[in-house]
Amino acid sequence: MTTPHPAPAAAGTKQPTPSDATFLTISAIRKEFDGFVAVDDVDLTIRRGEIFALLGGSGCGKSTLLRMLAGFEKPTAGKILLDGVDIVSIPPFKRQLNMMFQSYALFPHLNVFENIAFGLRREGRPKAEIDSRVAEMLALVQMQKFAKRKPHQLSGGQQQRVALARSLAKGPKILLLDEPMGALDKKLRSQMQLELVNIIERMDVTCVMVTHDQEEAMTMANRIAVMEAGRIRQIGPPDEIYEQPNCRFTASFIGSVNMIEGRITEDEKDFVVIQSPQLPHGIYLGHGISGFEGQEVGFALRPEKMEISKAEPEGQYNKAQGIVEDIAYFGSHSVYHVRLPSGLKLMANHLNARRWASEAFTWNDTVWLSWGENSGVVLTS
Amino acid sequence: MNAWTQRLQKLLPGGRWLVIVPPYVWMLLFFAAPFAIVLKISFAKSQIAIPPYTDLLQITDNLLQIVLNLDNYLYLVRDSLYFKTYVSSLKIAAISTLLCLLLGYPMAYAIARADASVRNVLIMLVVLPSWTSFLIRVYAWIGILKNNGLLNNFLMWLGVIDQPLHILHTDVAVYIGIVYTYLPFMVLPLYANLVKHDQRLIEAAFDLGAKPWQAFLKITVPLSKAGIIAGSMLVMIPVVGEFVIPELLGAPDTLMIGRVLWQEFFSNRDWPVASAVAIVMLILLIVPITMFHHYQAKEMEGRLT
Repeated sequence: MTTPHPAPAAAGTKQPTPSDATFLTISAIRKEFDGFVAVDDVDLTIRRGEIFALLGGSGCGKSTLLRMLAGFEKPTAGKILLDGVDIVSIPPFKRQLNMMFQSYALFPHLNVFENIAFGLRREGRPKAEIDSRVAEMLALVQMQKFAKRKPHQLSGGQQQRVALARSLAKGPKILLLDEPMGALDKKLRSQMQLELVNIIERMDVTCVMVTHDQEEAMTMANRIAVMEAGRIRQIGPPDEIYEQPNCRFTASFIGSVNMIEGRITEDEKDFVVIQSPQLPHGIYLGHGISGFEGQEVGFALRPEKMEISKAEPEGQYNKAQGIVEDIAYFGSHSVYHVRLPSGLKLMANHLNARRWASEAFTWNDTVWLSWGENSGVVLTS
Repeated sequence: MNAWTQRLQKLLPGGRWLVIVPPYVWMLLFFAAPFAIVLKISFAKSQIAIPPYTDLLQITDNLLQIVLNLDNYLYLVRDSLYFKTYVSSLKIAAISTLLCLLLGYPMAYAIARADASVRNVLIMLVVLPSWTSFLIRVYAWIGILKNNGLLNNFLMWLGVIDQPLHILHTDVAVYIGIVYTYLPFMVLPLYANLVKHDQRLIEAAFDLGAKPWQAFLKITVPLSKAGIIAGSMLVMIPVVGEFVIPELLGAPDTLMIGRVLWQEFFSNRDWPVASAVAIVMLILLIVPITMFHHYQAKEMEGRLT
C-alpha cells in the first residue's frame, strides 16, 4: 500500500499515494455528554476506497462517532484528519463528506429531482450542469422514472435509492452510511446490500458505515471495527473478525458461539490442552498459543464447526455427550441445543443436505458432539 | 341476529348521529339563522318603525311580491367612505398579520427548539395573558400609552425624550393593541407545526452544504407553510372586523369596518345598510377563510400519512 517515496501529485490518476492508507485518520477521539463517555479515545485509520463498518450494539458509541465525522457533534478531544487536513473545526456544511441518514431524511416538500439537486444547488453550479449530474445520479440508482415524485409516494427501497443518489451527487470524499438497511424488510435488505456495494464501488468512494447488524457489516464491508462501550474491541476483515475474535465480546457479538470457560493444563509448543469442569473430556488444540499453564481462558467454538453423531467419536479429547433439548429449524440447516450432564448447553449446526434428514436426531436423543483440533479459538480477554 | 333486525338497526339513528347532530343544530340556530336574517335585512328598506326596516314579502292586490332592495349595496359603492373603510381595514389587518408573523415566528421557533421540559412553561407564558379579560387588557394599554402614561413617564425619566410622545389615539396604538392581542393566535399554530419538524432534515441540509440560514429558508420555512397560513388566517380574519381595539386605542379617523358597522347600527339606526356592510365584509373574508380550511385539511392529511 504505502510507497517509500511520495508519488507525484497528479490529479485524476489512481496511483496510490502515501495518504491512501491513512486517507481518514481518527486519532484519540473522545466524546463526553454530561460526564458520560460515549466515545472513549478511539483511534482508527481508514483507507481510500474501502468500505469500513462500525459495528456494535445500541449505545456503543458508533453513531456518535459517525456524527462526529459528519460534523453534527463536536469531539471533546482528538483529531479527525481527512486527506491530511484536520476537519474537527470545520462546520458540517463545509465538509467534503456526505451522509445517507437512517430512515433517509429526504426533504418531504421537494421531489426526487430536487432532493438530489439540493447539494448541487448550494454550490451554485450552473443549471445545465446540475441537470446532467442529477440525471446521471438518477440513472445510477435506476430511478429516472420517479424524478417528479415526492418522497412519500415512494416505497422504502426507492426512498433509499434517492437518499443514496443525494448523498453521492456532490462526489464526496467519504460517504457516511447510518444504518443503511435499518428501514427495509429482510428480503429487500439482502438484495440492496449487494446493490449498494456495487454502486459504491462503481463510484469509487470511500465509505464509512454504522450498523448493529453483523450480517450487514460482513456482507458489505471490507473491514469491520467492533465497538463496545465507546471503545474499539477489534478491527479486521469480516472473516478475521469471525474466525479469529480477540476477545469474548467480539466472539459472542458476531454470530453465535459456544463459550466454554476452562484452564490450560498442558502448554506445549505445538499443542495445548484445556480442562473445563463443564466438559468431562478435555479440549485439545493442535497448535501452540501465547498462554501459560494454569491460565484461566475462554474457548470459543462456532456451532457450524461441531459434528453431531449417535456413535461416540474416536479420540480422547474434543467431544461431549448430551441430550438434545431444542431444535431450531432454519430450513437450510438446523441448530441443535444439546445439554451436557454438567449443565452446559452447546449449540451445533447440522446441514439439512437431504430433504428428510432432520429425522436423524430428535428431542431427548442422546448424542455426541465433537470438533476438530483447530476449530476453536482460545480467548484470554 | 337475523336480517330483519339488522335492517331495522340501519334505519334507527345510531350513536354516530347523537355526536354529529348537536353541533349542526347549534350551527344552524346560531350561525345560519342569524346570517339569513342579516342577509334578509340587507335587502330591505330603512324606515322609522319597529323593527326599523321593511319586510321583503309584500301582499298588494292579492299578489305576493318579494321586493329586493339593492339600494343598500349600491350605496356602499357610491359612497367612497365604505370602500376606503374596507381597504383601510384590510390594510390594518394585513400589516398587523405581518407584524405578528415577524414577532411570532422567532418566538415559536425558539419555543419549539427549547428543551422539552421548559417548552410547556414557555407556551403557558404565551397563553397566560388571555386568562385576563380582553377588554381589561386593552384598557391597560391606554394607561401605558397615554401622554402621562407609564411609557412616556419612563422615557422622560430616562431622559430619552423631553416631550411626551403622542401614541394613544393614533394608528400606531391600534397596531400595538392588535399585535399584542393576537400574537398568541400566531404563535400557537406555528409552534404546533415547528415542534414536529424532524431535526435530521436540517442536519441533512447542513450535510449537503447548506449554511444555517439556507437550511432555514429552504427547509424550515417551506415545511412550516401550513403553520404560517393557519396563524396568519387566525390573526387576519378577526382583525378585519375588529371593533374594540380601534375604538379604544385608535384615532377618531382610524377607519375600520367594525366601527362603521357600529355607527350605522347604533348611531344612524340604519339596519339595512349596516347589514349590507356586514355581508360585504363576510364575502371579503370568505377567500382567506377557504384558503385557511384548504391548508388545514392539507395539514391534517400530512399528519395522517
